[in-house]
Amino acid sequence: MKRLLAALAFVLLASAPATAQQQPGSDVADDLPAGVADENITVSSTYGGSYITVFGVNPDRRGRGDIVVVLRGPNEPATVMRKRRALGIGNAFGIWVNGDPVRFSEAPSFFAVLSSRPLREIASAESIWRYQLDPAASARLASAIPAGGDPSAYRAALVRLRHEQNLYQWYTRPPQEGVRGGLTAYRGGLFRAVVRLPANAPIAQYHADTYLFRDGRLISRQRIPIAITRVGIERTIHDLAMNVSWLYGIVTVLLALLAGWGAAVVFRRP
Amino acid sequence: MIYLPIAEMPVAVLLILLVSGGVGFVSGLVGVGGGFIMTPALLFLGVPAPVAVATGASQIAATSFSGIMTQTRRKTVDWRMGLLLSIGGVLGSASGVALFERLLELGQLDLIVSILYLLLLSSVGFLMVRESYRFWRGRPAKSVSILRRPLKSIAHTLPFRLRFPRSGLYISVLPPLVIGFAIGVLSAIMGIGGGFILIPAMIYLLRMPTNVVIGTSQFQVMVIASLIVILQSMATQTVDLVLALLLMAGGVVGAQIGARIGAGMKAEYLRGILGALLVAASAKFLFDVVIPPEEQYVLGGGLW
Repeated sequence: MKRLLAALAFVLLASAPATAQQQPGSDVADDLPAGVADENITVSSTYGGSYITVFGVNPDRRGRGDIVVVLRGPNEPATVMRKRRALGIGNAFGIWVNGDPVRFSEAPSFFAVLSSRPLREIASAESIWRYQLDPAASARLASAIPAGGDPSAYRAALVRLRHEQNLYQWYTRPPQEGVRGGLTAYRGGLFRAVVRLPANAPIAQYHADTYLFRDGRLISRQRIPIAITRVGIERTIHDLAMNVSWLYGIVTVLLALLAGWGAAVVFRRP
Repeated sequence: MIYLPIAEMPVAVLLILLVSGGVGFVSGLVGVGGGFIMTPALLFLGVPAPVAVATGASQIAATSFSGIMTQTRRKTVDWRMGLLLSIGGVLGSASGVALFERLLELGQLDLIVSILYLLLLSSVGFLMVRESYRFWRGRPAKSVSILRRPLKSIAHTLPFRLRFPRSGLYISVLPPLVIGFAIGVLSAIMGIGGGFILIPAMIYLLRMPTNVVIGTSQFQVMVIASLIVILQSMATQTVDLVLALLLMAGGVVGAQIGARIGAGMKAEYLRGILGALLVAASAKFLFDVVIPPEEQYVLGGGLW
């Protein structure tokens, strides 16, 4: 077991630089001094979401430029559908069905961007697109848009729907009263970013990316992996359900029958 | 609060226990299976539809098994008929799970589930209210007793006839297979046991005596629900064990308490009240599919 862990650790260490280079655009030095408070967030049976804290220092000695922090979940395929009427009489009545599906080959499953003022004042539109500082910029269309559909409307809908689920967040101000998330700048170039990770955010490997922009151009950046993993009973149940699903099903049924039997015995009428 | 490992959401333990206990209470009080109330209740609590449907089946297996224990002691289970219905049901639920998976991929599952519930709740609710109203007016609906039931139906004329000693029948095996199949499909898609469809079908189509109907239908419901839990676990991985345990705990206890209290009350009035509630709930489903949505776009295609 120990040997296995050592091997695993080696693989992780060996692959770490490779994942760091997967970040879009690789012409900028990865030297922004930054870290996260917790590199491994655990999900147990009492999990109700979490906070992720990223801190670092602006390397510019005179404190010029703007810090942008992005927390990204893994990219996954997504589908957006538009409701349309079916079985209707003319345009007056009918049931609404989900139609006109548009697929995205990848879209971030979680995306939070933090800055101390609106992003468009910090980075050029080209940089926002290139470094994917906006969830819409990271979503890649994979299928044709149905007739009468607008590609940007689908993209906007994806962002809006995920934002309503708290999966896409953006902060342009330091934490306020009652809102814990945001980017705070301290004296000496020190900064701290706090993101609320809701309970419905996928359990996966995340990345915290920090960027330094000056005059609309990217100067420096850093990428830090954050693992969100299940532990304890949550992990056992989930692994069983995914890997040995037939056994999981049988166990559930047996528990159900046991519960039924127990109730019949306990409540048996004399 | 407890975090559900498959639904991937935190829920309040007490709330789930209260809801499942309440549903169990109502089902014990009125004498219906709880599946067709439990699944919509879970949907209202924000549990994703696939998880609600697949997990609800485990609670149905628990309550129906508890019922069979009682019925076996009274010798009111026609095992041969139950087995035949189950064979049809096995094929039906296997097709149902496949259909469920396909609808999930197409992103139409929520819609189909809503429409089926709309039809089901409104019709069952209407029938219950009507029955209760007739009773209140002093004209109970024509009851089907062993003496009054007509001797022949289509089941008596089709080929492949078989003898069912406990029900005192000599009928074709085809109608039970078809009925079992239909119930299996509905169970898999809607997360219901189907007892309230199965029982009238057994009485009116198969002409089974009323005393064996409940035990036999519970047998078929238990087989189908158990199979659905296993099939859904394998096909869609949407059975949430933690949620299932909470539902079972609340459901069986609620049902027993409901049955005790219900024994001393007029079942017809209770059914009338439940029927009215069901019609009201179906209005919510109607509202959802007919009213123009504020949000034109929906996320879909994934698991939920």
